[in-house]
Order: sequence, then C-alpha cells, then structure tokens
Amino acid sequence: MSLVRINKKLHARYGGAVRAVLHDGCIVVQGHLHKWEDVVEACQTAATKYSTTHVVNDIVCDEAKEKPMRLPSLRDKVLDGRKPDVLVIGGGISGVSIARELSKWKLDILLVDKEPDLALQASGRNDGEVHPGIDLSKGSLKHHYIRKGNEMYTQVCKELDVPFQRVGQYVCFNKGYLKPLVALYCLWRKKHDGISDTKLISGEELHRAEPNFGAEFKFAISNPSSGCVCPYGLTIAYAENAVQNGAEVALNTAVVSMQVENGEIQSVETNRGTVYPKLVINAAGVFAEDIAKMANDRFFSIHPRRGTNSILDKKAGAFMHSIASIKEITRSKTHSKGGGILHTVHDNLLVGPDAVETYEKENVATRRESIEHVFAKQKKTMPRLSERDIITYFTGVRAPTFEEDFIIEHGRKTKNLIHCAGIQSPGLTTAPAVAIDIAKMAVEMLEKEKAVEPNADFSPIRHGVPVLREMSDEQRAEMIRKNPDYGIMVCRCEEVSKGEILDALRSPICVPTVDGVKKRVRPGMGRCQGGFCSPPVMQIIAEFLGVPLSEVKKSSAESAITFGRTK
Amino acid sequence: MRTFDTVVIGGGPAGLAAATAAHENGAKTLLVEREARLGGILKQCIHDGFGLVRFQEKLSGPEYAERFIDAFHAAGIPAMTLTFVTRIVPAHNGGFHVTLVSRDGVETVETKTLVLSTGCRERTAKQVSIHGTRPSGVFTAGTAQHLTNLLGELPTRKCVILGSGDIGLIMARRLTLEGAKVLGVYEAKPTPSGLTRNIHQCLHDYDIPLYLSHTVTRVFGDDRLTAVEIAEVDDKMQPLPGTEQIVECDALILSVGLIPENELAESLGVEIDPKTKGPLCNGQLMTSVDGVFSCGNALHVNDLVDYVSESGECAGKNAALYAGKKRREIPINASKMLSYIVPQRLDLDADNRETVLYFRSRDIQNGCTLKMLVNGEAVFTKKYPFLRPPEMERLTIDFSKYPLDAASKVEFDIEVKAK
Repeated sequence: MSLVRINKKLHARYGGAVRAVLHDGCIVVQGHLHKWEDVVEACQTAATKYSTTHVVNDIVCDEAKEKPMRLPSLRDKVLDGRKPDVLVIGGGISGVSIARELSKWKLDILLVDKEPDLALQASGRNDGEVHPGIDLSKGSLKHHYIRKGNEMYTQVCKELDVPFQRVGQYVCFNKGYLKPLVALYCLWRKKHDGISDTKLISGEELHRAEPNFGAEFKFAISNPSSGCVCPYGLTIAYAENAVQNGAEVALNTAVVSMQVENGEIQSVETNRGTVYPKLVINAAGVFAEDIAKMANDRFFSIHPRRGTNSILDKKAGAFMHSIASIKEITRSKTHSKGGGILHTVHDNLLVGPDAVETYEKENVATRRESIEHVFAKQKKTMPRLSERDIITYFTGVRAPTFEEDFIIEHGRKTKNLIHCAGIQSPGLTTAPAVAIDIAKMAVEMLEKEKAVEPNADFSPIRHGVPVLREMSDEQRAEMIRKNPDYGIMVCRCEEVSKGEILDALRSPICVPTVDGVKKRVRPGMGRCQGGFCSPPVMQIIAEFLGVPLSEVKKSSAESAITFGRTK
Repeated sequence: MRTFDTVVIGGGPAGLAAATAAHENGAKTLLVEREARLGGILKQCIHDGFGLVRFQEKLSGPEYAERFIDAFHAAGIPAMTLTFVTRIVPAHNGGFHVTLVSRDGVETVETKTLVLSTGCRERTAKQVSIHGTRPSGVFTAGTAQHLTNLLGELPTRKCVILGSGDIGLIMARRLTLEGAKVLGVYEAKPTPSGLTRNIHQCLHDYDIPLYLSHTVTRVFGDDRLTAVEIAEVDDKMQPLPGTEQIVECDALILSVGLIPENELAESLGVEIDPKTKGPLCNGQLMTSVDGVFSCGNALHVNDLVDYVSESGECAGKNAALYAGKKRREIPINASKMLSYIVPQRLDLDADNRETVLYFRSRDIQNGCTLKMLVNGEAVFTKKYPFLRPPEMERLTIDFSKYPLDAASKVEFDIEVKAK
C-alpha cells in the first residue's frame, strides 16, 4: 500500500490526529490518540501483512501509561567486564534454543534474562501446541519455518528428554455445506503450502476419535502431525543442555542500556555489570522493540496481545485426547479468538487462549471475562467442558509486530546484532528450526573476525529429572533402592517424591524457589494447587540452601512466603 | 505378597478409629499413612474444642489424636507411615491389590476389604474465581495453619480472610494471637459458614469484623501480595459492579470449603454423591463397590471430629465383618429441605437397628421438625429448636421397626411451622 493511500485511510478514520511517514525504510506512524485500541488500529491500517517494511509506532497515547520494565532488585558486578562472543538477551524458547544451537561451537555464550527463572513470560504462558501450519500460507517466515520446526520436535524432545506427543489436531465445522469449500482449502494448503499431513474427515470419523465432541459437527480438518509439549519444560531443557555444553545462563539479569558507536554495540549495561559482547542476539519477546531501540536499530514495533488459558483437572483430561478448535463463520471481528482445547502431556485439559490487545507488556493478571468468553466458545466444541473442573488459569502476553510475522534478520543499522523478534504463535513450534538458522547467521558473522571451531565435546543429550510416577513398579523400586528419597511422596496430586525435588534443585540451572521446583518437577501443579505440599517443599528448599524458611521465595527475591518465627 | 483382611488408607482420626475397630472385630488390619506421623490434620489443630461429644472434655487436636493413636498402638496394629498408595486394583478373588510406595520400595499387598479414610482438601483461590496476579501470600487456611502451627512460621502480618469456614475462623484468632492484624473475615453467603461458637470465640472476642455477602474478586502484587479487591455480592453470590474496594494487606487466607478426597475411590469405580462429593454409602458405610468402605471427611465434610471417629469405627467394624453377601439396597432420599443425608442407601439384608445418620439442613430453620417418610407417610419425627447448615446433625434410627421392602420409598424432610 502506498503512503498516500495509508494517509488517506488514517485521515478518514482519525482526522489529522495521526499520519504515516517513511523513515529509514520504515513506516513511522506519528500523532496523538487517546485510546490504545485506536493506536493498534491505526498501525494495523498502515501495515501490510507479512511485509518486511515495518510499521513503527510513534503515536503518543494518553491511555497507555506504561510502567517501566520491571527490574530485578539484584545489583552486583558478577558479569562486569565479561566479553562473551555472543550475548543472548531473553530466556524464552527463542533465546535458549539459539544458545543451545550455538553451544555446538567453541564460543563463549552468555544468555541473560531479567526474570528469576526461564520461560516466565510468553514461553511459559501458552498452550504448548506444536502447530501443523494449516493456517499459514507461503511468503511468511512463520510458514517458512513451521513444517521444519514441527518435524524437528520428535528428535529435539528425544534429545532433551522432554515429553512430546503428536496427539493430532481437529478444526471442527458445524455447517455441512462448507465441506466442499474447506476441502478445496485443504487441497490448496497441501499442494501449494506443503502442509502435507492435512486431511478432511467426516463427522462420524471425528466422533469415533473424540466421542465427547459436539454432536452437531459435520466434518473436521485433521492434522495428525500436531502435538503438545510442555512449553516451559522444553525451554528449561534447552537451557540446561546449552549450559551442559558450556553456555552461561544469568537469571535476574536485565539489559538496561547499550553503548553503540559506528553502527556497532560496544557494551551492554546490566544490573550485574557491563558486558562487552562481540555479537548480541535480541530474543527479548515483548521487549524486543526496546532492545532494538537501545541498539539504535528500531525498525519495527511490538503490540502486546494477552491471552488467558485455563487448566482443568486430570479427571476432565479423560474427556478428550487431542487438540481441538471450532471454526465458526461469523461476522463479528471482535473477540473472535477463543482458542481451543488441548489435552496436555501431563493429562490435564488446557482451554484457551483468547486474544486481547494491551499496552501493558508485563501485566499477566487474569480476568474473569477472559475465562467466561473462552468457555462460552469452547463448550460448543465439547459440551462436557465445565468451569467447575478449572484448577488454575494464567495469562501470557504475546509479542507480535503489526505485520504479524517473525523478524529473523541482522540489524539493519547496527552490525553486530541479530533480531529474533515478533515471535508469537507458532513461535514454539518454529523455535528449533529458527535457532539453527540464527546460530548459523551468528557463526558466519563471528567467522569474519576469526575462525569458529566446532565444540568437539558437544552432546545433544540432556537427561531430565526421572519421573517416578511414569515408571513400572520394578523400575521405581530400583530407583528407591538406590535413593530412598524417591520413596517419600511430597506432592500427592502429582505424585512427586522428595528425591525428584532434590534432583530439580541439583539440576544444571538451579532455581531454588517454590515456583522453580514446581515448573521442573510439578509439586503444586495438581488439584490442591500446593495446599498440602507447599510447606514441605519450602522445607526441602530451606534445607538444601541452608537458610531459614522465611528466606524461601515463591519466585522473585521479594516474594518471601513467611515473615519469620512465630512468638 | 502380604495379605490382610482390611487395609485402611489414611491415618487421621477416621482411619485410626477404623483400623482399631477392624482389629477389634477380628480383622488382620494394616493402616497406611502418607505422612511421617499419624493423626492427620489434627496434628496442626492446636486449638481446643475437640472431643466434647465423645469424651465430654475440651481437648486440643493433637491431644484428641493421641488418645486414638495410643489405643491403636496398644492393639498392636501394623502401620506404614511415609507410605503412599499409588494404585488399587481389584483382585481375582474379589479382594484388592494395593500398591504402596515408601522409602523401602514398592510393595503390593492383598486385602479382602478397604477402608478409605483419605480426608478432604481445601478449595483454592482459582476455584472460587479469584483473579489478578499470582503473588506469594495467597494461602488456604489449612496451609497457613500448617506454616504457623507445625513449622512455627508467621505467614502474614496483615491479612484478609475470605470465607467463614471453621478453619478460617480458627486462623483469624490464631494469627491475631501471633501478632498479625486480621482486617476482616469476608463471607460471600448471607450467613456464616462456621460453627456459631467459633464466630463468638474467634471473631467477636478479638474484635475481628465479619462482613457477610462480600467476596474477594482480585489480588494485587507482582511479588508479595499487596492488596485485595473486595466486592459486595448479589443473592446469587455474583460480585456487584461498582461496590469494589481495595484493601491493602500482605496475605489472603481462604476458608472457602472442603472437598472430600476420593480419587482412589473413583479409580475403583465408586459412585460419588454430587451433594456430599463423597461415596454413596449404605448404613454399614460400604460404598457402591463391594468391600470398599468410606468414613470421615472423605465420606462427607463433618463439623466435629467426634463424628469422624464414629464413622471410622462404623466403617472399620463393618469392613471386618464383611462376608461378601449380596446387597438389597433402597435409597434413603433427602428432600430439598436438606442439603444432604449420609448414608444415602439402606441394605435391607443388613443389621440396621442402630443406623447412624448425619444430615445438614439446606437453610437456617427455627422451630422445625425432621420427618422420616416411608411411602409418603411420616413414621418418625424429631423436633429441633433450630437447624443451621454449618452444624451437622446426627440421628440414630432403628430401621428394623419399619416394614421396609425393595419397593419402599424412604425420604427425610424438614417441616417448618408456618409463621
């Protein structure tokens, strides 16, 4: 779309309040608007889907009184003066998978994340679906990586000892007359876009596979290659494997500024000292635009979009065994996304997410209306679905650009920078494939200075904490014989032993908090939500660290659980 | 494989009583407890008021438990502590194979009968639709009690309590005594959920306000909880827009209901009563699965531990006496005036001369009469000056006095005098 047409449209909609200008190869939208939803709409008006000419949002918005990025309270100089070959910013799935691929080379790799654990933002706050790509068409980076990423999952999850199941996905339709049209769509996707596994199945076939799905479904698109993975489990596993192969992960470490000279990042300021990397990889999720700005390389904008998922009791997990969504043909544009239902690798059901534009990058508070909206829609997919089975819910914030595609490229103005930005769904699916390409780009850049040797000691194999509840009685008895702590049950809902909790604390990236342990071995993930097991888990952590119970944190340094001894 | 006549799962007050009763009635018994010590939740209930019915004494929870633990040990019944049941499967001979995990490894034992005395768990914040962030400082009352009484750690300095269930009221007093400020107890219902005596002894005596028809809708705080949002609710207990207020505090303590734990029972196909969330049982406290008995808070949420022990004794004794006879059961129905009645079934071929029934009224009633109707005709009546939902009622009925057969319709109803 030409700039003239964009400005015509903007003028028609907002009067003279906003206008678009071309600057440094970007469409910069400027002006002043009251409401954030108008800002999003204005930028969307200026953007072309999948275009590499990005919209940069410079609109002043009255409503969007965004808080500054939350910084960890930790202040030290542990990293001061470090000169890593590569600094990866962001401990989500993108950052850790890149770090792991880079650890195949003899490189000094430092990954930083401002949070007290990995995968604390979008990578840990999604439904864990490994997508088939049925909704993606050629020409986007999302499409470029989706099939490769999907196919890599079998191997990657085997190497990293992460549960992954190709449970298959159904897109269900209740209007029979749409069948010929959808059949054509599937054929097009298959032939043109290479979504090789997609097929159409009848209502009978669908109900044979999933008897609890809505009776009125006439047919469905079936994608057997879809799967589910534990998204934070995979992120942690990738990071652990990177660390085993020599990378360093620094948590509670935020990038606060950068010094850029002659189109190169000279140094990066963190709350733990100044770092002098040869190359920086921007995998900062919702903060990718902020990092780009610090690096003097801001050519895109992120418009955060939050989504809420509910987790249902394992009893409801028995209702269905795949991933499902309903396709309704409606005219309503607003709130059309109500997610789907997914049977997780831990046998819960996950329902959601919705999609709501927000200027708050770090507001992950849940809202009642999100749950209501999602359930209203998903009960059509499976009428047995009930809010009564909810054990918890969570909100994540996605990091899309206005072009709704990934940004995987070198800095446009800053040389020693690679962006892995705009990563939203299906970013979890594509991550293994994207990481390989970014690692290659990084190595090529570093090789301009000096040759980069392969890491001869690299091992792709990571062993997770043994999961005793999945073992046979004989295996379990053998484990307990070697370590009786495996026989002490701490979490009754999820059957987690003291031995497994101690293993998590002794893992390559020790996060000795109640949430850290919960993410790794699941005490507190069940229907009592830690009611019974949180005090004993606290005791195990306190004993492990040699600190009083009041020093045990839920997550961040400020999230103590108790205030010291009683009278 | 070790074999037993009765395996009791859960070493709280119900299980201790059940195991002792099973042993006294001649059963070779094993008690399995997942924690290191017997006594169940009583271990952390250091307040008094236990045993008034049974011993006519005010005991603390640990004191009450001690009496049963002593009797249990005196009888020489084997107990496995720090032992967790991972699986129960029916055996070919009509019994059950119970798989146990402990520090000693994995063992499967065989038993003719089972007593499930697995207690209950607390409803959580998300189950009562509380939204907002996920800070530290959101506790169920039982967890706060565990931290305070067993670990000696103070979980709050200034808190709001949601729900006027008994543990919430007890914790309001307990935390006040520890120097914490309890800003108020908020209850979504228009009437308190806990025992009247606890409202007086735990709230009024300490000037802790009770706000009825109010609920907590949101929590705030990125790290530690900093505040909660409170709203008034309508008669359907839905928050009323515009009534929200923010109360600054460092913890939210929830006492919003207990749910009987019946995951093992369900794995055996035991039918669950949607009203009690416990197994449907007959007068012998046998569930819908032959040889499987239920008692205590796993059967239904009791108000007093004395009744928990009583149901344990009933289940334990009947498990020991179980002879595998066929049952001929009719339902014991509860009218809409009752929130539930336990047991829900009567085995016409069993000894029902002293059947103990527990029930709760659905609403507060003053000057009313409980009626047992057989085929629509009142055959038994009992007058009550008042009935309150938080207070469970107990009743013994000699069913042998009434001519009952497979076609009989038995119903309990509450008649209220017209004003």
